[in-house]
Amino acid sequence: MDLKDIKAIIDLMKKNSVTEFELEKQDFKIRLKRGPNGGAAASSEDFPALAYAPLPTGIPVAVPAPPVPAISEVEIKSPMIGTFYRAPSPEAAPYIEVGSEVSSETVVCIIEAMKVMNEIKAEAKGIITQVMLENGKPVEFGQPLFKLRPS
Amino acid sequence: MFEKLLVANRGEIAVRIIRACKELNIRTVAIFSEADASSMHVQLADEAICIGKAPANESYLRIDRIISAAEITDVDAIHPGYGFLAENAHFADVCESCNIRFIGPNSRAMNALEDKAVSRALAKKADVPTPPGSEGVVDNEQDALTVAKRIGYPVIIKAIAGGGGRGMRVAHNDISLVKGYHTARGEAEKAFGNSGVYVEKFIENPHHIEFQILGDNKGHIIHLGERDCSIQRRNQKVVEESPSPLLDNPKFKKLREKMGKAAIKIAETANYTNAGTVEFIVDPLGRYYFLEVNKRIQVEHPVTEEVTGIDLVRYQIMLAMGEPLRHSQSDIQIKGHAIECRINAEDPFDDFRPSPGRIEMYYQPGGRGVRVDSHAYAGYTIPSQYDSMIGKLITFGRDRREAMDKMSRALGEYMITGIKTTISFQQAILQDPNFRRGAYSTTFIEQLLSGARRELIEEKA
Repeated sequence: MDLKDIKAIIDLMKKNSVTEFELEKQDFKIRLKRGPNGGAAASSEDFPALAYAPLPTGIPVAVPAPPVPAISEVEIKSPMIGTFYRAPSPEAAPYIEVGSEVSSETVVCIIEAMKVMNEIKAEAKGIITQVMLENGKPVEFGQPLFKLRPS
Repeated sequence: MFEKLLVANRGEIAVRIIRACKELNIRTVAIFSEADASSMHVQLADEAICIGKAPANESYLRIDRIISAAEITDVDAIHPGYGFLAENAHFADVCESCNIRFIGPNSRAMNALEDKAVSRALAKKADVPTPPGSEGVVDNEQDALTVAKRIGYPVIIKAIAGGGGRGMRVAHNDISLVKGYHTARGEAEKAFGNSGVYVEKFIENPHHIEFQILGDNKGHIIHLGERDCSIQRRNQKVVEESPSPLLDNPKFKKLREKMGKAAIKIAETANYTNAGTVEFIVDPLGRYYFLEVNKRIQVEHPVTEEVTGIDLVRYQIMLAMGEPLRHSQSDIQIKGHAIECRINAEDPFDDFRPSPGRIEMYYQPGGRGVRVDSHAYAGYTIPSQYDSMIGKLITFGRDRREAMDKMSRALGEYMITGIKTTISFQQAILQDPNFRRGAYSTTFIEQLLSGARRELIEEKA
């Protein structure tokens, strides 16, 4: 088996949406696995010469795998990087809970960045169906904060 | 020792910095835009934080977001890489005021060299020759004409805040000077947010030769030899090598020592710390002129690493921690010869049009004396919003001949499909008889390409 054959197998895998392929012969074994971005990850036990440079199959640590929201739901995503707080102060009640009705101007949480408390607005109208992370956790840009069913 | 460091960059240099950190047992934080979620530097870092949408001014240039990311991951230091915020004195100040060490020169040195016009003045103060030109910024076209009359054509109009070879215009007469003056100012405003320009004598057929410097916070400064970066296309470097074939010419044997001393003098005058590069141009008669100081680690740093055996990025981190320089000037030995070819995702047969997209197949060269600094891999999609460089191929040999032969061998080993690359163009450069003789100047590529075009036209006829 040479690189041309391997490329042909990878093409076939892509065409037929196959994620894993393993072939074992007398003195040779190859396993091809397609990564999350549709790329191919190869590992070869007995023929190191055919191994590709190791491919990333892991998802970056701080990015949670985005869950597919139900069609009738939208996500409120973080517009900044910082620390997520559900209430204006530690003793106060959270801005919203599951079931809360919000409009686009409703403040839904605080994201603290560099000692500045930024009030984050819903920017959508509807009912909150899920709170995606715990109070006090760090958030990155684009991270989902809440799920909402638009009204 | 720093415990955690944030890499404020992307692509191959982010991978380079992460590697140096891993070897020093420093934990790493990668920042990335949405377009870079599957980039190699994100995979290799211990932690990764998304800081915004793809455009650089919504991500890699956002000081507030980078500092926020640094805070929530509690890092001790930030390495800015090259480009982006690497030479932004304000960013360095913000880091320091947040108690985060900035891996680069101190702000005083940054301000002493804040733009090309100020640096020219500093060089004059340090008694280092500069190309004849304007005293400082040229505010109007009449002044530009006066300067040009005094120094004589051809002249070059340069943006004081320019970098990466952009914001320059050559003029051979009054008409092209006025046109170039206004175009350069407009371009500079748009690209760098600063329309300031100055005028210099344009040195024809020069060699671009730069010296790598390192400085500690006790005022000790050394240089690590030169790199010849004359092989450029539209002022962007394509091939770099050390030592310079020009300085190895017995006709110019004292030049290396003189220029090295000049580089150190400039750095000392600016109270420079950490890594930097002092750029000169040398005319065909061996007269050298100071151009500017690059206050950062540079793309072509591996060339110096190979001929000196010194890890420059590691040195940057150690110096930033307050360590003194461990080498005196006499400790620096240049052994052998190294060449670097930048590999870009561009189509050399279609005027170097950028070729972003998905890399299908990727096999990179290896073997003795071959080094690849790259973030590319099979299945990686090159985003269209950033520069097109996908990696650097560096070869090292006992002499220039061996380094060149290895480079040709290594270039021929690459197997990349799915995107266009400049690999075949690099091979043409390495095979060119003038390049092989070391007889080239900054006009080399232009001549190579116009010669090639003539051949194509003759073929078609």
